[in-house]
Amino acid sequence: MTGDYLWDRSGEADPTVADLERLMAPLAWQPRQWREPAGTMGRRWPLPFVAALAATITIVTGLSTFVGGLKREPQQGVSITRLEGTPTVARAPIRESQSLATGRWLETNATARALVEIENVGRIEVQPSSRLALIRSKGGDHRLHLARGTVQAVIVSPPGHFSMGTPSATAVDLGCVYTMTVGDDEVGLVQVTAGWVGFEWRGRESFIPAGASCITRPRLGPGTPYYEDTSPAFRTALTTIDLGRSSADERTAAIDVVLNESRRRDVVTLWHLLSRVQGADRDRVFDRLAGFVPPPAGVTRDAVRNGRADALDAWWNALDLGTTSWWRTWTQQWREK
Amino acid sequence: MAAGGPAETTRLVLAAQRQDRAAFAELYALYGRMVHGLLLARVSRTDVDDLVQDVFLQAMQRLPELREPEAFGGWLASIARHRAVDHFRRTAPTVDLPDNLAAAPIDRTQATAVLATIRRLPEAYRETLMLRLVEGMTGPEIALRTGLTEGSVRVNLHRGMKLLRDRLEGTST
Repeated sequence: MTGDYLWDRSGEADPTVADLERLMAPLAWQPRQWREPAGTMGRRWPLPFVAALAATITIVTGLSTFVGGLKREPQQGVSITRLEGTPTVARAPIRESQSLATGRWLETNATARALVEIENVGRIEVQPSSRLALIRSKGGDHRLHLARGTVQAVIVSPPGHFSMGTPSATAVDLGCVYTMTVGDDEVGLVQVTAGWVGFEWRGRESFIPAGASCITRPRLGPGTPYYEDTSPAFRTALTTIDLGRSSADERTAAIDVVLNESRRRDVVTLWHLLSRVQGADRDRVFDRLAGFVPPPAGVTRDAVRNGRADALDAWWNALDLGTTSWWRTWTQQWREK
Repeated sequence: MAAGGPAETTRLVLAAQRQDRAAFAELYALYGRMVHGLLLARVSRTDVDDLVQDVFLQAMQRLPELREPEAFGGWLASIARHRAVDHFRRTAPTVDLPDNLAAAPIDRTQATAVLATIRRLPEAYRETLMLRLVEGMTGPEIALRTGLTEGSVRVNLHRGMKLLRDRLEGTST
């Protein structure tokens, strides 16, 4: 067996380690936005920042949570409306319209549908046979968790303000329309209609544009995004690569399929693969991507071989998939959660 | 997108030393998981979130003293360890229980038991296992964030995991 799962998750998963990872994951750090108590301001930070902070009085209100630990921001309005059948909250049928409290599960059976509306954030239509919880809805941080089923989300809040957790990844909305499905096996699929969605699990990230989809799997996190009009063979090859369970020959063959079938618009897929394949395979992806979009100045083969973040970032910015500032806004807001 | 390598850390530290708050917020996002794991190796789960905040506050106040930006991870880890020791001195020992004991699912109870077992391991093993198994960091990430060498982290991970297996199977105390 090659690889060392305990060290870097390479090779075949050690069953004990994988079981402990699953068991202990709920105790992990829950990223949140850094908020600075008022007392730390003063001389260390320049006046423009003071002015900016004063302008955002809601943040100052939030700071008191850290200082005093007692005050709480009010819950932002989250309403649910019955669309069809008998949706339930905490196993009780919902009224025609009511609010959804934090920590409560909204469930639909095979004939029920419901609509969740978060004030100034968006609308989430919950399809039959779904289970959805409200985790948080305060300020600029609105989180739902889809345990199973399908939801269609139309989000109008700024990028990064809304996220949808699933058993195997968190989808961070970047101002868009998308459908999210989670199966009984906890495998998730996001299909983006407009805008962008970021998918994240334990530092593994995928960035999915309109027209593209991405599968997320338990213990593996988000897979490599692909456009819906790619061939079945292309998608099967990506699955082989993402699962990482195949032999070296099978993996090489899968990469061959992806490289041979890639079109200009598939640079999104190729860019993600740069950091997901190793050695000579990474070189081959490099060459294919370079054939569509040459690496910008300073982005060398060695830098990409070594997985240098600055090189990957720079090449992303050259792909013409969105402005740098737009991307930075997203990554910063996501990380701050 | 991969992010948070040594060059980025250095850039962010230098910016934060120039009082760039957004840069400090990015450092918090990059290193929060590491600080959380180091604290969880020592103090009660219910206190960890507040202590993470304390550690970053101390770091913010002392950041101008840091002369080698590339050493930020090790420096921050040191603040976290000291803060945990200080907290331990000031508070009575506590035992982590599941959030709602009566209704706690089996997994939650087991997780609490494993947490207690990891905390009884030698310190070096305790920290690396907490970062690997709880925080989901790989060995190279642990080395990158804590400032330890990859060799040390690898040894600690493998020896610690062996000891943890033994203790969970009841063959070592």
